[in-house]
Amino acid sequence: MNNYILSKKLKTNELSTFYSFLFGLLIAFFIGSIILFLQSNNPLEVFSLMIKLSVGSLNSLSNSLNKAIPLILAGLGISIINSVKLWNIGAEGQIFMGAIALNLVYINVTIGNSNLFIFILLISGFLGGSFCILLPALAKTLFGVNEIITTLLTNYIVFGLTIYLVNGVWKDPNSLNFPAAAYIDKSVYLPIVTSKLSSGFLICIMFTFIAYYLKEKSVFGYELRIAGGSELTALYAGIKSKQVAFIAMLIGGGFAGLAGAIELLSQTHRVSTGLSQGFGYTAIIVAAITGMRPIGIFLVGILFGALTIGGSVIQTIGVSSYLAEIIQASTLFGALIIQFFFNYEIKKVEND
Amino acid sequence: MYEIYSMNKYLLQVNNISKKFGNVQALNKVNFSLEEGVVYGLLGENGAGKSTLMNILSGIYMPDSGSIKIKDNLIKKLSPEIASNNGIGMVHQEFRLIESFTIKENLILSKSNKFQNNFEQTYKKYSEIFALNLKSSKYISELSVGEKQKVEIMKLLFNNSSIMLLDEPTAVLTPQETQQLKISLETLSKSEKKTIVLITHKLKEIREFTEKIYILKNGNMVAENINTNETKDIELIQLMMGEVNRREIKKDNIKGKAKLEVKEVSLYSNQNLEILNNISLEIKSGEILGVAGVSGNGQVELANVICGLVKNYKGSIVISNKDVSKKGVKTRKKLKLSYIPENRLGIGLAPGVSVLDNSAIKEYFKARYGPHLSSKKLNIYLSNLINQFAIKAPNVKAEISTLSGGNMQKLLMGRELISNPDVIVASQPTRGLDFNAVEAIHELLVEQRNQGSSIMLFSEDLDELFKLSDRIIVMFEGAIIKEFSLEEFSIDKLGLAMAGINE
Amino acid sequence: MIDLQFLGLLNATLQAATLLFIAALGELIAEKAGILNLGVEGMISIGAVTGFITAINTENIVLAAIVGVLSASIFSSIHGFFTVILKQDQTVSGLILTILGISLSSMIGKSYVGKKLEVKIYKFGGANEPNSVLEVFLSQNLIFYLSIILLIIVSFIFNKTLFGKRIEAIGEDLKASNSMGLNINKTQFVATCVGGAFAGLSGIFLTLSYVPYWTDSMTAGRGWIALALVIFGGWKPLRTAFGALLFGFLEALGPRLQTYGFEISPYLIKITPYVITIIVLVVLTILKKGNTGAPKNIGVPFFKENR
Repeated sequence: MNNYILSKKLKTNELSTFYSFLFGLLIAFFIGSIILFLQSNNPLEVFSLMIKLSVGSLNSLSNSLNKAIPLILAGLGISIINSVKLWNIGAEGQIFMGAIALNLVYINVTIGNSNLFIFILLISGFLGGSFCILLPALAKTLFGVNEIITTLLTNYIVFGLTIYLVNGVWKDPNSLNFPAAAYIDKSVYLPIVTSKLSSGFLICIMFTFIAYYLKEKSVFGYELRIAGGSELTALYAGIKSKQVAFIAMLIGGGFAGLAGAIELLSQTHRVSTGLSQGFGYTAIIVAAITGMRPIGIFLVGILFGALTIGGSVIQTIGVSSYLAEIIQASTLFGALIIQFFFNYEIKKVEND
Repeated sequence: MYEIYSMNKYLLQVNNISKKFGNVQALNKVNFSLEEGVVYGLLGENGAGKSTLMNILSGIYMPDSGSIKIKDNLIKKLSPEIASNNGIGMVHQEFRLIESFTIKENLILSKSNKFQNNFEQTYKKYSEIFALNLKSSKYISELSVGEKQKVEIMKLLFNNSSIMLLDEPTAVLTPQETQQLKISLETLSKSEKKTIVLITHKLKEIREFTEKIYILKNGNMVAENINTNETKDIELIQLMMGEVNRREIKKDNIKGKAKLEVKEVSLYSNQNLEILNNISLEIKSGEILGVAGVSGNGQVELANVICGLVKNYKGSIVISNKDVSKKGVKTRKKLKLSYIPENRLGIGLAPGVSVLDNSAIKEYFKARYGPHLSSKKLNIYLSNLINQFAIKAPNVKAEISTLSGGNMQKLLMGRELISNPDVIVASQPTRGLDFNAVEAIHELLVEQRNQGSSIMLFSEDLDELFKLSDRIIVMFEGAIIKEFSLEEFSIDKLGLAMAGINE
Repeated sequence: MIDLQFLGLLNATLQAATLLFIAALGELIAEKAGILNLGVEGMISIGAVTGFITAINTENIVLAAIVGVLSASIFSSIHGFFTVILKQDQTVSGLILTILGISLSSMIGKSYVGKKLEVKIYKFGGANEPNSVLEVFLSQNLIFYLSIILLIIVSFIFNKTLFGKRIEAIGEDLKASNSMGLNINKTQFVATCVGGAFAGLSGIFLTLSYVPYWTDSMTAGRGWIALALVIFGGWKPLRTAFGALLFGFLEALGPRLQTYGFEISPYLIKITPYVITIIVLVVLTILKKGNTGAPKNIGVPFFKENR
């Protein structure tokens, strides 16, 4: 009789996350191909169309990059919070809350200088996201309440709040077939960089560096890492674990709130239930695939943005846009399976 | 004729068992035989191989060589299930009871429970033997530690174990509970014909509980089946601890004013049990105070109190004439206290975190420029550590557990000592390390001593204590039972004190 | 004279509650064994769409139900594989499955949107409008009664049987369970699949009776509510059933509020279950100092001892 046991490998390959991602992508496209086959579609035809219409022209590339913005920002927020081993499942709600906060300020405050106004609005968005995660953050750091469930529930509360607002106080009488808030004025639209690329993308790049700096180079990031490793060690190091975890959660929520604000100012131009189509959830996948690395999140975010655009355009040839989501989710799946083999080995326990 | 006789005599026969872990020979051709209905003691210091032997018997570890016979049947492959089916059961120091379940549930859920159908009867019988006056519907969380242990032992009885291995059972019991256990074990062995093996380092227990003794030392069985009442304590200690190789170092160090003073420190647990009992001591500058004692007598708690990790205690801690009793870790660090905890990975080092990050725990604020942490400075700091302390760390960004035990300890020590602290609290600093690493660490400590540090050295290694200490105190059951000056160092006296015998 | 509107509300409550309860009960089983399955939403979806497609193509309700339940169960076995066999992070695995489940269902179900179902799950009481509370209870459809039976069976198993207690033991303490000789991997894997089967049952109820048609995103977050329900119910089947009734009531109340002359926006009513759950969760955690009744080992993978 042989016993097999699972044991963690001592030496892990530095690039294992990257390789896992590549393999995962392969596996995902393989799964996608099978699904397409079963629906009597030609995978090659579909994939090449996806690629062509998502990155094939300047126009489509801009669309993809725009689509990537909320994924990247929310993903960065998730990665900051995960430094201290906590999960933010509430990015979706924080995105909406960012947009709501922005709209609230927009309605009640007028600032002549439109650049300044945009700046203030973006900050409001950031703060809105932080506000959204405030209760779960307090509950976790003060009382140890599971943050996965609380952040998840706030998604529904905020989404419900959004529906309430766009059907009630903020209802735009001019929007007949779809309840939404009134459009904001063109003066506060985020300016376009080139083609259709929103300057929000530049903000995105900036915040990627901010997230990278916070996580890797700052004292704060260091304290998060130690606190995430062991509370007792953090105690000995003189680090206030609960405080840094709380701040990390607020910052992470803020990133997602900012994503919502940018979506409003550059894409939808108004608060509506269609502001985010699951970006907050997809962002979790983006963050997880890259092992919570900011630079990776930026790159994978772009890839996933392109996939999403690709997914929406293949509807024209009759393929469901959900193919994109399936590929995204399967990439992480595949990556996890491959990562498993990098991390663990199956040892045979020998008997006499 | 002799063979027929020996066939019936031994319930369990272990012959020439050896087990190696990496480079360490944990057990070397060990013999161990048990008769029915006898209470045995397995004596040995920490690291002697007791746990390894027990784990082999209960089927968790596989021996490298040797044979195991149960009732004259040669067991080819011993697994936890097979061990259990053959009547071997073990009670570990950490209980395996489900806190939120009742006593009854913990007993009947086990798949090896043989008394499913007459639970109440069996429960009544055994709870009488153990004087456990509790309904089986009581929750484990409501039980005292002693009561929980009784339930753990009852688990073995419900599984119909004929050989019961008890790992340091009295470590967690009050004197009264210990008495009760003795009576219960007597009944079990005489009336129920159970074979009991008590694993312990406490001489008092051996005397009171056991009929026969086996002694393990450094993986070798140095005494087999000797009668308890025919041996003196001193003989047992000598067999267990043997000759102490006193590697001499110069003890002409100059001592100055006391840098660490502990004044009447007492600590109570959540259940109001006394963990530390009125501890007072002082350590002069340039002095090494050795703290001897069997693990579990309050050493970890005392170290944590001194270093500020535990706060609600009575008494005071004074460092370099400043009372830090109400202050936390940061203040003590500023007064140049360094702590090398027993629990390396967990308190000293953060698991899941890189080598580089871990190396900076003590002084990371020195590498900060406002919000920025200079990785350049961190790397320089780590390079210094690596060079000075000969640490093998090929990839500084890799996770800390990729380092060997010895290198982790060197990193920990280096980190704590490089700043030339005034007070050093070192707990089991050389546990589990190879010879060279041990020597290197001893040198470090002596160097610090010569530079005027007050050093508190907790160790289970008497060799180490004799070699390094200027004085030795012995901790027993949360208090200082005896102090020994340099001239009074002797294995016999220390061993007795550690066993709680104060003559 | 009982208000007809009240009866209508009661009827809607029972139906909405059934839908939530079955999925919650399944998740409760998985969590009791220590596995957190965030993929419930995806599993309900898979059950819903496969059941619907089978019903449309074969007009055989029984077959449709079986297919729905089995598909969801098989889908959940992926989660079981990832978490129990590969010891991967349960949160991530569950989330992936939700996204995959919803996307896959939408993909498969695309060509069936708008199709009409000729057969439905059997409903007692015929076409007559119930005139009393008792009649409302007696004229529900099969799945409602099935859910009550399941409630009784699952409660019985966890409270009165050794089998159920052993599952609970695994969720509480892995080391102790292992020393008791319990087969942890097998139990956790099976519990996950059973949870998935329940989610599938909820799904076919959705498309073969409650709604009854197929469209995108029709699960509407009920899977997440089911997760919250398990916590709300303190991991006890009966309390979870009451929670389901409460949430079902709130769901049924929303569109009916205007008829009662209430000024509260139905949209706000819709979010009250979530608000209540968070409050309850926080309060429970504070009061019980962390002991909310949650299985202690939830989310923790089990590694056998080395060497």
